[in-house]
Order: sequence, then structure tokens, then C-alpha cells
Amino acid sequence: MSARTRAARGWIAAVASVAVLTLAACSSPTSSSTPSATTGKPGGSLVIGVTSDPDTLFPWKATQFQAVHLLENIYGTLTEFDKNLNVVPGLATSWDTSADGKTLTLHLRTGVKFDDGTAFDSASVKSSLDAIKNEATAAVARSSLSAVTSVDSTDASTVVLHLTAPDAALPANLATVNMAMLPAGATETALNTTPDGTGPYKLESRKPSQSITLAANTAYWGDAPTLASIEFRVIPDESSIVSALQSGNVQMAVFDDPLVAKTAEGPNVTVTKTPQLSYHVLQLNARRGALTDVNVRLAMQCAIDRQQVLDTAALGEGEVTGPITSPAYKSDPKARPCPTRDLAKAKEYLAKAGKSAGVTIDTIVSQGEYATSVNEAQNLAAQLAEVGITLKLEVLESGAYVDRWIAGDFDAAVALNGGRPDPDGMYGRYFTSTGNLNKVAGYSSPELDALFAEGKATADPAARKAIYTKISDDLENNAAWIWLFTSYTYTATATSVRGYTPMANGSLQSLRSTTVG
Amino acid sequence: MSELTELPVTVAGTARRPLTAVLRSRSGLAGIILTGLLLVVAILSLTGVLPYDATAQDPVHRLAAPSASHWFGTDQFGRDVFARVAAGVANSSLIAVVAVTFATTVGTAGGLIGGFFRRLPDALISGLTNILFAFPPLLLALSLASVFTRTWFTVAVAIAVVYVPIFVRVTRGPVLSLREVEFVRAATSTGESRIAVMLRHVLPNLTSILVVQIALSLSWAVLTEASLSFLGLGTPPPAPSLGSMIFESRTLVSIAPWTMAAPGVVVVLLVVGLNLLGDGLRDVLDPRNRGTR
Amino acid sequence: MVRQLLHHSVVRRGTQMVVTLFGVAVFVFIMLRAIPGNQITAGLGTEAAALTPAQRAALESYYGLDKPLLTQFFGWLGNVCTGNLGVSSRSQQSVLDMTMHSLPVTIELAILSIVLGLVIGVPLGMLSASKPESPRDAIGQTVGLAGLSIPAFLLATALLSVLAQVWGYNPNGRVFAPITQDVLLNLQQMMLPAFVLGFGIAAPIMRTTRTAVLDVRSEDFVRTARAKGVPVRRLYVRHILGNALVPIVTMTGLQFGYLLGGAVVVEQVFSIPGIGRQVLLGIQQKEYAVVQSTVLVIAVAFVLVNLLTDVLYRVIDPRVRAS
Repeated sequence: MSARTRAARGWIAAVASVAVLTLAACSSPTSSSTPSATTGKPGGSLVIGVTSDPDTLFPWKATQFQAVHLLENIYGTLTEFDKNLNVVPGLATSWDTSADGKTLTLHLRTGVKFDDGTAFDSASVKSSLDAIKNEATAAVARSSLSAVTSVDSTDASTVVLHLTAPDAALPANLATVNMAMLPAGATETALNTTPDGTGPYKLESRKPSQSITLAANTAYWGDAPTLASIEFRVIPDESSIVSALQSGNVQMAVFDDPLVAKTAEGPNVTVTKTPQLSYHVLQLNARRGALTDVNVRLAMQCAIDRQQVLDTAALGEGEVTGPITSPAYKSDPKARPCPTRDLAKAKEYLAKAGKSAGVTIDTIVSQGEYATSVNEAQNLAAQLAEVGITLKLEVLESGAYVDRWIAGDFDAAVALNGGRPDPDGMYGRYFTSTGNLNKVAGYSSPELDALFAEGKATADPAARKAIYTKISDDLENNAAWIWLFTSYTYTATATSVRGYTPMANGSLQSLRSTTVG
Repeated sequence: MSELTELPVTVAGTARRPLTAVLRSRSGLAGIILTGLLLVVAILSLTGVLPYDATAQDPVHRLAAPSASHWFGTDQFGRDVFARVAAGVANSSLIAVVAVTFATTVGTAGGLIGGFFRRLPDALISGLTNILFAFPPLLLALSLASVFTRTWFTVAVAIAVVYVPIFVRVTRGPVLSLREVEFVRAATSTGESRIAVMLRHVLPNLTSILVVQIALSLSWAVLTEASLSFLGLGTPPPAPSLGSMIFESRTLVSIAPWTMAAPGVVVVLLVVGLNLLGDGLRDVLDPRNRGTR
Repeated sequence: MVRQLLHHSVVRRGTQMVVTLFGVAVFVFIMLRAIPGNQITAGLGTEAAALTPAQRAALESYYGLDKPLLTQFFGWLGNVCTGNLGVSSRSQQSVLDMTMHSLPVTIELAILSIVLGLVIGVPLGMLSASKPESPRDAIGQTVGLAGLSIPAFLLATALLSVLAQVWGYNPNGRVFAPITQDVLLNLQQMMLPAFVLGFGIAAPIMRTTRTAVLDVRSEDFVRTARAKGVPVRRLYVRHILGNALVPIVTMTGLQFGYLLGGAVVVEQVFSIPGIGRQVLLGIQQKEYAVVQSTVLVIAVAFVLVNLLTDVLYRVIDPRVRAS
């Protein structure tokens, strides 16, 4: 069990990154030499070190980091993100929305084949979307299709989605691998041994819990993939991956711990850091105990210096953030009540709540999911203690933490949650009264419900941005949660690797144009 | 790690003055000094007289090399490594003592009952012991440690469960033979209750076996706690544990070697001390070894 | 009469083994379910909160969690008795197949470790015993103490980082090569983990050897042989070591049984796909079938090794042989 059972950590990062999509424009290198943009000779073999095996090869259920980013290379989606995370054509070459916003027509790419040779057409799209909507499939992206009432294939290359109400976020939602297009009639069991996709690479061989090898898909519809093969090699221990990078056995790895990344750096290894959409947060449950009083929540808001949490727990590697992290809709962290720590104000709020004597808040903290959790909790507790708020920390192992989190059984929770490029996808499920995670969010209001509905119905980007700024302000003014900071992921590559661009959603999609050697 | 000490049954009191004898044995003396020193440091850390707190973070001074103010340097959060190591020793010792106490009590009771009453109780106890033995020990501790909300106490209990069967085995055999010894039979025939016989006549004769076994188990318990913490299933953070300190330092070893060296050396010294103590006790209490050293 | 007795003890031993294994099965089954979380939350993490009740029900039925516990238990045990150890829903591989790959790896590692342990431990023990209280005894004792006191994870971590970072030597960074495929690479990959484990095992073996040799040396027949002028070397190899073999074999058997499930930490640090890691991964992913069946396999192996040790003990112990 050595490696600290940390393989389990895969998923939080994963949950984060499934959804997490951001503009890669903001990625900044830690070292002077960025991976070269010029490409080398195609046809090389790349070895990527990973800490765990994918837990499933079935794209509709994959949330674990390893699984998601492996499957993105095997399966195709109707829309895709480019390197700047704009929505671009994928298996659909174009799409149009009706005037009332209630139908979305997708025009499909023709001549595309699945790995087993069957053709991709409107029947595959219809069967895939219908299956994702079917609760018995237990697809994780089902709620993204909640506005879709039916799917019609008008001809072999056209599909029409009928909606109950306009959904401006739908095209972006179709771009995740959880919405992958599968051949009609494929079963989960079959695909778990023999994936059958339309992506740039296909599964060549697998040694469970040791390695997975992909080979170039010569029938791929886009530019021919540049690597002959990609091996994901399982090395359970992160520091053993560093050793493997240094000895040249592995040419690439992705880390989320800045110190690990730092030790990996060397004459033959370059490390690039990429900001993430996922955010570190102290979730409050505004439906329990003292936290039902907005003044107590605001007192906490004012008593916390976020930069101090970031510096102490995460070595300053990250940025203080407001609720919305995607660059196009980014919240201004200065717009919150008490943008800088204000202990007098915090005490004033506590007095207003009649809690000058102090309050105790039961806080759950996960251990081992991500490196900084316990240290964040410790610093938050130290800061809040100065105004008489006691965070009673309960450090739990991942299984126990997840059980409590799902049940909403906490006053407060130290969490690292995934972000998405579209703010509706990111927070609609938490802060609307009917959202499927509202129980966990612990806060909703008629005002927020109305604002989220308005945002969904609005297509104009500028108008949407104004609406989501209002939502962000509303969340902060009511201190629904205490948003803290965002962090980075670190991509270590050997100098022989060229043309690889890390993306803010953690996607390894640029492997299709990477060369090695 | 499952080295059973098999000592012959010693009927009358062995070693009149065990303490003096242990002090006279070279390894015993070394063990006592080493363990004693580490315990003093641990107690100092518990009383809070050390200059730094084991969990207080000071990011400005992170990864500082050993110096006059930070004897063992600081870690990635600027925490004082010496304070953490000292608190780690306290934590390891506490867990080891609680675990071994629990294992000794339950295991000895099991061995006494099984060996003395035979029949059904013996069958049940031996059966359970066999099951626990057949379960891979580290996996057993690991699963037990993840069942309950983890605190230092649940970790101690998990380790204890692993050691209970060892104490059952170690005591059961001697009890079986003692049962047949003249004075025990005599006591039984005079009408003393069986429990009284067990406690008054059998148990005292197990002392030397138990003392040696306890000393050795303490060192294994320290190692097991460290291994569990290394796997992330020991004492929950931020409380310092020597095992988790080593785990966290693996990635730092090239830039800040003291973060691994300090807890590494200390855990080895603690275990060496306990082993030497155990050896010393064995030298004194086990007649077989007398004269061979 | 003798035959009957023998028969009786074999039956007894057999029953005892079956009861023990059944107990292990019950125990692992209950414990797994007592650990918080299940395969759904292990796979989806906090995202499991977003499942609708119907989706959750579909997943429970997919993983077989919707059946009553007793049905799950006896269903699994029944299958195990027919040789079906279940399937990993993670890789769609049968647990039997997984075990066929991982068990030999661990057995190889255990054998290599034991061999290294014996190679280090026995000569060291004899060296120590040859002249108690001398400097050479002190050397032997110190090495033994180090083996007992240095945690395997510390030695493993230190070795790996030093070798890889300083010399860039890291055979364990390559894909694991089973011995049937590439003997040379396999041995390189096994060398460090076997050394780490062997060093730990050498300590009890060294101590057992030392005590056994000292014990045997004081016995009458050795004194007689010495008096008769049997050369010292021959005396050691033939008589003393021959007689000290019994406790050494017992100790080795114990250690071997322990290694089958106890090499987890080392397997993890060195990326060795052994059976310990199989259980570990299973626990992390809450793959009940994998953990239950694998733990049972380890228990069977443990029980068999113990039996073998006993038999061997009877074969080599001159006293038992004589009677």
C-alpha cells in the first residue's frame, strides 16, 4: 500500500479536470525553456508516467483523471475545444440554433469510421445521446442534456436536438469525453476490453495496472497523428516517476505538487505550469447551525486572508480567486466584501449575529486526495481562531470524506472542486434550488434561480458575462462559500518531446501533434 | 516480523533483580540509554518547552537548512523538523505502548483461558488466532485502520489486533505445561477456584516470557505505525508521525536531505533502542542465553 | 494403529485449515464492507453526489451491490469453490487471471529475498557464534540489529532515490518484465526489492542461526566429535549446521509466509506488480471481489507454506526422524 494509497487521489483532480476547461492562453512556463513549438520527426514512441491505471475504459462513466485523458485520445466528440478552449467542430462540422433557441441542428462529418470499421453517422449520434439520457446507463454527463427532450436524425449526416428551453451552454457541454460518440449497440463490458472510437489513437495493448499502449489511428479524419505509439506506464509512486524521468525511461508526466515538479526539473527535463479552472474553497453549509446566519458567514469571509492560505499551504503557487474561474467570465477577487482581511469588521458581523462569544464549526477535510488539504484547513483554523470562530477539523480518508460530502453531512468542508469553462455548467448544479448538487452546496435563493435561468436563455456573450458577474457578486455578498485560490498543474517533458501544449483542462489532446526523438 | 520468542517455562522466579541485571548487560544498558534519551525528548515536546510548535507553519523560513535556531532545519511549510521529530517520537511511543498494552492484555487472557480450560474456549481462541495469522498482517492493520475515523487511538487498536495472536501463541504453550506442574495441581486440588489459580500461580510464571515479548513487540509496533503512516493510513495529519514525515520528504530529498535524514535516523534509533532493550531483557530472563554473551 | 493416528491427524489438520480459511473469508468480507465508501464512490468521487436515484440504482445493480449481503457472500464463496474468483470490473480481467500473473511475481520476489536473507544471515550468524563476545560477533550482531531496525520503506526509498538521481540507474522505471520473458531485466528489477526484503529477513535468520549454533555446540555429540578430533570446518558444516537447520527452516518458513502478503510497501515503491499491490489497488478501488479472492489466495498460500514447513521440519529434525 505503499504509495500511500494515493492512487485514489486520481479522481478529485479528475473530477476537477473533466469539467475543467480554461483558456490555455494563460499558461506560463516556470522555466526559461518552454517545450519547443517546432515539431520534430513524426513516428516516434512516447512513454508517459502515470500513478494509476484508468479505473474504466467506458467514456460515459469516466471521471478519474487517468481515464478521462486517455479516453480523449481514443474517442471523438461532436464538438471539441481548441488549444484556447474555444468550442470548435469535432464530429459535427457545424451547428445552428433556431430563432427561439429550442432546436439545435448538428451537421455531421462524413466518411468517419469507428476503430472496428463501422461507419459513424446520425444513427450513432442518436443512439449515443439517447443512451446518455437514459438513467439506466448511469452516464455522468446526463444532467448536461436535461434540456433535451428528443433527438431526431433527419438524414445520415444531420441530427436535430429538441429542447424544452434555450441552452446556451449545450455546444460546450458536448465537447467532454463523457459525451463521446459510441457505435450503436456497443456495450459497456465490450468497450471496457476493446474500446471502439473515432479518435486519433486506438488501443493497442493493455497490461492491467502496468501499462496501456495506444497506436496511431491511420483512418483518423483529421491530420494524421504524429506519434506511432503512446504508452501510459503505471508507476504508483510519484517520486519513482521522477526517478524514471531522470533516468530517461519515461519522457513525460503530469504532477499537481509543485515540489515534485521542482525535483523533476533538470538538464534533460523541462517543467511547464498551467493554471487550472478547479478551485480551492471552504464550502459552507448555510442550512446548518450557526452558519444559517449570513452574518456569521460574512464574519468568516472577513477573517480570512486568502493570500496567507495560499502562501502557507501551497507555497504561493496559485492565484487568489472569486467563484468563477474561467477566463472569459472570471470573477474579480477584489469585488467581495472585505477583499482584504478585516478583523474589526469580522467581529462586528459576529456581534450582529449575537455570537461574540464565538462559534464552533464542524469541518471535514480529506487526506491524501490532494496535497494541500490538511495544511489549508490548519491555516484557516488558525486565522479564524483570532476572531473566536473555532473550526473543528475532522481529517477523513477519501472514502469517508466522499460519503460525508455527498450526504451534505458537514458545517463546512475544505474542498478542491472542478471548474468548467461555462459558468452555468460550473455552478448551476450547485446553487439553483433544483440543482443536483444543491444539497451539498447548502445555499440557494429565488434571486439566484432567476439569474441562472436568465443566463441559460441568453446567447449574447457580453450579456451573459453581465449576468454571471451578478451571480458571482450575489454568492460572495451572501458568503455562500469562502472561495480561496486556484492552483497549477505541472507538465514535465524530456527535451526530446516537441510540439506538446498543455491545456488548462488537463487534456492531453495535443498528443496528436506531438513528436519525440 | 513475526519472530516468536520461545522461552522455556521458568517455574520459580528467574533473575532476582532483573533491573540491575539488565543494567549490567551491555545491550540492555545501551537500549535503556537510547530509549530513555528519546523518551525525554518526546516528553519535552509534549510539555511544550521546545522553542517551536510541531505544527506551526512559517512559510517565510521553509526548507531552511539545519542551523542554531532550527537544529534539524525546516520542512516545506517552514515547520521545525526537530519539533516534529520530537512530537513524532511521542506519537510513535504512545501508539506503541497503547497497542502493546492492549495486545498483551487480550492476548495473554486468551492464552491463559485457552491453555488452562482447554476444550471449547481453547478451540475458539485457537481458531480465531489461526484466522488472524493467516491474514497478511500489514493488510490487516491497513484495513482495520480505514474502517473507523482515524485517530491515533484507532491506529493503536489496529496494530494491537495484529499482535494479539502472537501473545496468545506465546502464552498458551507455557500455560499448557504449567497446568501439569506439581504446585499448580496442588493448588487446584486444595479447592482454590480455577481463576484464582490462574491469576495467582500461572500468570506470575509467565512474567519473563511476557516481558521479553513486550519489549520486542514495542519495536515492531513502532515500525508498523511508521509503515502505516508511510502508506497514508497511520496517524492523521497534521499530527506529526515519523512515517509520514519520511513519506513527505521523498520528493524533497535532493533539495533538503535533512527532511528525510532526521525522521529516518530517529525512527531507526528508536527501534534499535527498543530492540537492544529487548535483547538485554532476554539475556537476563532467558536461562538458555546465559553465559553465551 | 500408527496409520490410524496419522490418518486422524491429517483429517484434523485438514479441517482446521478449512475452518481457518472460511474464517478469513468471513472476516475479509465484513471488513471490506465496513470501510467507508463503495465502488461507486471510489470511481466517481464527489461526482457521485450528482447521480439521480435511478442512476445510483443502475450502478448498484451493475456492481452487484443491490443483492442482500448473505447472497453476495455465499454467491462469491460458491464461485470461489468452483474456481471462479470473480472479475475485476476495472479491467474486465478475471481475478484468477490477475492472480496467475501477480502470484508468481511475489513468489519469485519472496524466494529471492529468502535466498538473499539466508546468504547474508546464515554465515553472519555462524561467524558471530564462532566466537561469542568477540569483535566478529559484534559485527554480526550490529548487522542483525540494523536489519531488524531499519524500516523497509526507508531503505527502499533511499536506495531508489540515490541510484536513480545520482547514477541514473533505474531498471524499475521500465515496464516490468516477467522472468519468462526477459530474465536479465527481470533480475535487475527484482534485485533492489529483494535486497531490501532480504536484508530485513537476514536479521532474524542471523539471530536464529547464532542461537542454534551456540545451542548445538554445547551438546554432547559435538563435544564428543571435537574430542575425537573432527576438523573444525567439517564439524561446523556437517554437525553443527546440520543440527541448527531445524530452527532456521522454521524461521524461513515463517518469513516466507509473511512475505506473501507483507511485501506490499516494497512492491509499491519499486512498481512490482505482485499480489500485495493487487490487494492494495483493490482496496483503493473498493473492488470487493478482487480483494476478497486475493486475500483468500494469500491465506491459502500461507497455510500451505506452514504445512510444508511442518513437514520439512519432521523430515530434517533428527530427533523426530529417529522416533
